[in-house]
Amino acid sequence: MRLLVERLSKAYTFLWALRDFSVELESGDLVALLGPNGAGKTTLLKLLVGLIAPTSGAIRFEGTSRIAPRSQPRTGLLMPADHLYDNLTVRENLSFFLSLYGHRCDLQMIDCALEDVALLERGAEYVGNLSSGMRCRVSLAKWKLLQPDVLLLDEPYGVLDGSGIDLLEKFLRHQAENGGIVIMASHHVSRALKLCRRALILKQGRLTFNEVKRQPWPSFDRAFGEFLPQGEKWSS
Amino acid sequence: MELLKHTSLLLWKDFLLELRRRDSLLTMFFFGTLLLFVFHFSFDLPPDRVAEMAPALLWLAFLFTGTLGLTQLFQVERENHTLEALLLSPLDRGALFLAKSCFNLLLMSLVELVVMPLFWILFNLQGWNLLPQLFLVTLLGTIGFCVLGTMMSAITLRARARELLLPLVLFPLMIPVILATIRCMENIMSAGDLGAAGSWLRLLLGFDVIFVTVGILIFDQVIES
Repeated sequence: MRLLVERLSKAYTFLWALRDFSVELESGDLVALLGPNGAGKTTLLKLLVGLIAPTSGAIRFEGTSRIAPRSQPRTGLLMPADHLYDNLTVRENLSFFLSLYGHRCDLQMIDCALEDVALLERGAEYVGNLSSGMRCRVSLAKWKLLQPDVLLLDEPYGVLDGSGIDLLEKFLRHQAENGGIVIMASHHVSRALKLCRRALILKQGRLTFNEVKRQPWPSFDRAFGEFLPQGEKWSS
Repeated sequence: MELLKHTSLLLWKDFLLELRRRDSLLTMFFFGTLLLFVFHFSFDLPPDRVAEMAPALLWLAFLFTGTLGLTQLFQVERENHTLEALLLSPLDRGALFLAKSCFNLLLMSLVELVVMPLFWILFNLQGWNLLPQLFLVTLLGTIGFCVLGTMMSAITLRARARELLLPLVLFPLMIPVILATIRCMENIMSAGDLGAAGSWLRLLLGFDVIFVTVGILIFDQVIES
């Protein structure tokens, strides 16, 4: 499976949020999407899943246009504390989304996924009563069950505790090893770099860096150095 | 088949959420009955004059009550950005339109079932035997209102002052449906028979069929724009 993004641009009235973004990703790619606030990371993720339409450019999966109605491969977007119904229980949320995606709604499978994210005992609780970290775990269970081919994540580290991060990273590695593509937007550079095999850096809507990880990585150090707080140094 | 499956799934989800939140239905009930009491204390008219005005007064109450429901219709999908989650899925957009329309229809019908008999009691009206026929006509009018309302609610979803904008956009478009429903009800109340409302009834049915069909066909564009 290949994901081809060709000269993708998005403008909000007179402001370019993303400009001429091109990238080619293949099965097994685990990508860190980095950049300062307002660089266009979330816009790019929303464009890739088809939530917003590009101003110009194209997104293709294995040569087929994403314009085709909800064509395979299926993309998933993990927003840490979002995309769940507060007044449905954890199990009801999962079973609703399973049915929506046309999967068999198997309660045993749901419980298994909840056990994987250490939330089995909270299955009957309303999502609205859970902390943002736990909601992120529910989202993780959701995408574990749905198994998307391309999984995009927006700042997943912010709300997770240590064990949650371990669960997340294990899941993302598993997704990539099983032929999926994972793109993760994050400000937690050291964690993201440890996990990912490629880094993309966006600056003011433009792609300024796109390389496969290597050690040492002086080009990354140079490219990323300018985003660090004053006085801090970075070394990959 | 997929359309019906998704519609029933979304409808069940909305029903379950309303059962737990109870905000839309309760607000609509209170507002509907409150309006009746306001009418009751404002108009000091004999029953025969009230009977002439009954369809218009009832539909005034239904319009405001229904608009209240419409402003809440997509609220649940705005919280936690669940609309994004729905749009990410392979869900048929027509199913979302049908589910939201049916859900609002269900709420409005429940309110109407209470408000109409209450109106008859408050204004001491005769002709209780006409209520089933009047309910039927009201249901057809409500279908038109809910279908068009769902469409407009989706169009104004991302607008800043959507609560203010919605009635401004919706009411002018609703004029044919309201007019046909009120004329139907007037004919039934004066002639005492559903047959008397023939041409207006056909017009109302025509509106409903057109709005539902167009809604299913174009909701995809509306919700994703």
